[in-house]
Amino acid sequence: MTYLARRLGWSIITAWTVVSITFALNELLPGDPARMVAGLQARPADVARIRDRLGLDKPPIVRYARFWQRLVHLGRRPIDRSDPAHATCAIVVAVGPRALHVDFGKSFQMGLPVVDLVSTRLPRTVALGLAAVAVQLVLGASIGTAAALRPGSAVDRLLVGASLLGVSAPTFLIAIVLQTLFARGLRWLPFDGFGATLGEHARCLVLPALTLGIYGAAYYTRLIRDEMLVLMRLDWIRTARAKGAPVWRVVIVHAFRNALVPILTAAGLDLGALLGGAVVTETVFRWPGLGELSVRAALDRDGPVLCASVIAASLAVVATNLAVDLAYSRLDPRIIARRARDSR
Amino acid sequence: MAGVCAVCAVSALGSLPLGCNQAAPAPIPGDSNEDAPARRGGILHLASFQDIRNLDPAGPSDGLSAEPQHLLFAGLVDFDDRGYLVADLADHWEIADGGRTYRFVLRQGVTMHDGSELVADDVKRSVERALHRTTPNPNASYFAGITGYRAFASDLTDHLAGVSVEGRYIVSFHLDEPDATFLPMMTMHTLRPVCRSAGDRYRDDWTPCGAGPFKFAEWQPGTLLRLVRHDAYFRPGLPFLDGVEWSFNMQLVAQRFRFSEGELDVLRDLTQSDQRRFAADARWKRLAGVDADKRVYGESMNTRMAPFDNVEVRRAVAAAIDREHYRLLAPGYMTVLTQLIPPGVPGYDANVAGQRYDYAAALEHMRKAGYPYDPATGQGGWPTPIVYPLYDRGLLVFTAQLLQEQLARIGLRIELRLMSWQAFLTLQERPGAAALSQGAWEMDYPDPSSFFDPLFTTGAIPEAGHNVAFYSNGRVDHLVAEAHRELDPERRRDLYREADTILCDEAPWAFAYGYHRFYVRQPYVRDLTPHPVWPLEATRAWIDRVSDAGFARLLRGAIR
Repeated sequence: MTYLARRLGWSIITAWTVVSITFALNELLPGDPARMVAGLQARPADVARIRDRLGLDKPPIVRYARFWQRLVHLGRRPIDRSDPAHATCAIVVAVGPRALHVDFGKSFQMGLPVVDLVSTRLPRTVALGLAAVAVQLVLGASIGTAAALRPGSAVDRLLVGASLLGVSAPTFLIAIVLQTLFARGLRWLPFDGFGATLGEHARCLVLPALTLGIYGAAYYTRLIRDEMLVLMRLDWIRTARAKGAPVWRVVIVHAFRNALVPILTAAGLDLGALLGGAVVTETVFRWPGLGELSVRAALDRDGPVLCASVIAASLAVVATNLAVDLAYSRLDPRIIARRARDSR
Repeated sequence: MAGVCAVCAVSALGSLPLGCNQAAPAPIPGDSNEDAPARRGGILHLASFQDIRNLDPAGPSDGLSAEPQHLLFAGLVDFDDRGYLVADLADHWEIADGGRTYRFVLRQGVTMHDGSELVADDVKRSVERALHRTTPNPNASYFAGITGYRAFASDLTDHLAGVSVEGRYIVSFHLDEPDATFLPMMTMHTLRPVCRSAGDRYRDDWTPCGAGPFKFAEWQPGTLLRLVRHDAYFRPGLPFLDGVEWSFNMQLVAQRFRFSEGELDVLRDLTQSDQRRFAADARWKRLAGVDADKRVYGESMNTRMAPFDNVEVRRAVAAAIDREHYRLLAPGYMTVLTQLIPPGVPGYDANVAGQRYDYAAALEHMRKAGYPYDPATGQGGWPTPIVYPLYDRGLLVFTAQLLQEQLARIGLRIELRLMSWQAFLTLQERPGAAALSQGAWEMDYPDPSSFFDPLFTTGAIPEAGHNVAFYSNGRVDHLVAEAHRELDPERRRDLYREADTILCDEAPWAFAYGYHRFYVRQPYVRDLTPHPVWPLEATRAWIDRVSDAGFARLLRGAIR
């Protein structure tokens, strides 16, 4: 419990630091967000009026203070969006008629509440991230294990060579190859997009998830192969074999389970990064996720969207790391004992 | 609005790989003969590599938003398909008080998308909503000449005194002084009437509703926009299409693929190699076209910074640029431009003596400036390198390199400095910061004043406009102001001709090239011709493919 509380405390500090740096960078970079809204050819008088409307006429320190004051606050449940003080809020936790609100303000560019934009985009990015990590793990585990079972063989060399190719190929190249093959050639899957129904969403998800999956699988292939090579030579594996355990049981139950801790660590980091948005893949496949939104916000100097994207991404990283930490204890009880010893 | 588009136009072209060496796909024929009458039905599918930001005509806009806005909102006046200013929602108009009053008599029985009838009160309410202080309208100050604008914009009054309702169908605009640009500016989308649901003041969450040929159906930001036919449109029988659909953020390769499959009906974002392929293919010749030249690009010289404070150096630059070399960078998109006004803008005057490439004259101007340069020895010229800021957007990087090579031949050494777009804008507008930089401008409203006023008048020097050459000439100021007031078209043209001639001679910019978009349509898309002013006019377009409705439904999922 103490460990969990400490991790949560650090998570808040991490999020605060990252957002403060983003806020500062957004202020220090050249360019005027109001000008980006008004357009390059807008007259200065019109730009000034838009600057006032966006609240950019106030000093940065005032805006920074207001941002944090508004970010998490107490309010009513349900939210009355006609009330200007809560027009851009969303509920995080509700207790009776009271609720904890989160409020990132309005997007400068789109004029929409940022919580609505992020809450629409985040599930899509989560779906893509989870699907991509699943593909990475399934491909990486299968190929890596197959290679480890015949070290030095032609199969091993072929699989390791293929993994080198996968890790060297940029995602946009993998994306184009997959689009050409599965969308244009075989016509099995949509070229890009998001779709309108759940079935269409699923079909549209396949190619971007495969793109990220193939790219990441190469790394897992090598990681799992190396782990399995070491494990398969250990005494207790030899003992299991000597006792007549079938090969699949030796590989999966005895060896692979013990290789999971480093794999889980890498997968947790990967998932955290993917939840921040896989910008290139989302762009190539027109997958309307958080990555595409945050890049556009950075280019357009859309401060509220940028800060919200950064918070979402940093919380995703923190949450996945926390989940991985908690999963360790399931996989290897010695870790709990070590933590308990360290905390004493 | 247009500025973003002017930048995007050239960036789209240079930002993608040139594509593989494939033949252009086969056109998909229509069901009927060429002379078949138009018929109703079908969805027009379009795509863009960009996204739109807003559909409210009073709000911030961009080049692409203008397409749906034009179909959603009709104006009191508009430009027809030959470029003539005509009445649209207005039945007719009268000019009174020596050009200070414009009285519009509305058509009766115009039904808006919400079913209500358009009346004069709606016009006044829409204008006040668009020009109110709290509205993020980037074009509001264009209408500062309407009587009472300043008081209204400062929130001193609740209503705009210069717009008066004189009957159920009569609305008058009163101006502080005669303004020949008023009618062209009224064609802009920003003041077009909106439904009563829009209210008196701008709201971000309003669902677009106007009196245009199409009405709003669905918008998924970043992905898709769908408009459907407004069956009660005031022009009987129009539009023919059931709807128009845009897909956004679509890569150029994906667009080409979908176009070849018939899932996109018009291809407008092409790689250079695709453009060449389609343009060279006889099957696509009559199906390809370009939109009007409404953009000017040139090299802007800061007239307050050495060496460009010397008019002879500026003349040397204008004479040293071989514009044909620029054009050859993207021959399907770029045109040689020797004067300020591009040929696609109403008021373009072919008789203006523009800037011309003349290497010998350029060397002579350098000599007159006091910096003689000897091409044989490479000696002389301006002694120190001149920093040329640029941002990494497609063609601009190539034109900058070309400029560097051409100016080196007259003794001006250019040092290219790459930076972000925002940094570039900031630097360009800061006094004494950028001696030489690229200038770009796109028509905001169809009139020469859309170029002269913001770019070359003293009042537009960066604190108040976009005169990044910091150019000031009393005669030009006088001519432009006079042309603003002058209602006689002939006299007005003479005034602009003289102003343009002065600019070409004194060269605050070396005008270099214009830019237009290339497009190809499938043969079954009929009567979709480029409009001289607007990026998309689909009121009379129709789909000659009976199976289109079912086909579109079948493929809709894939297109998204």
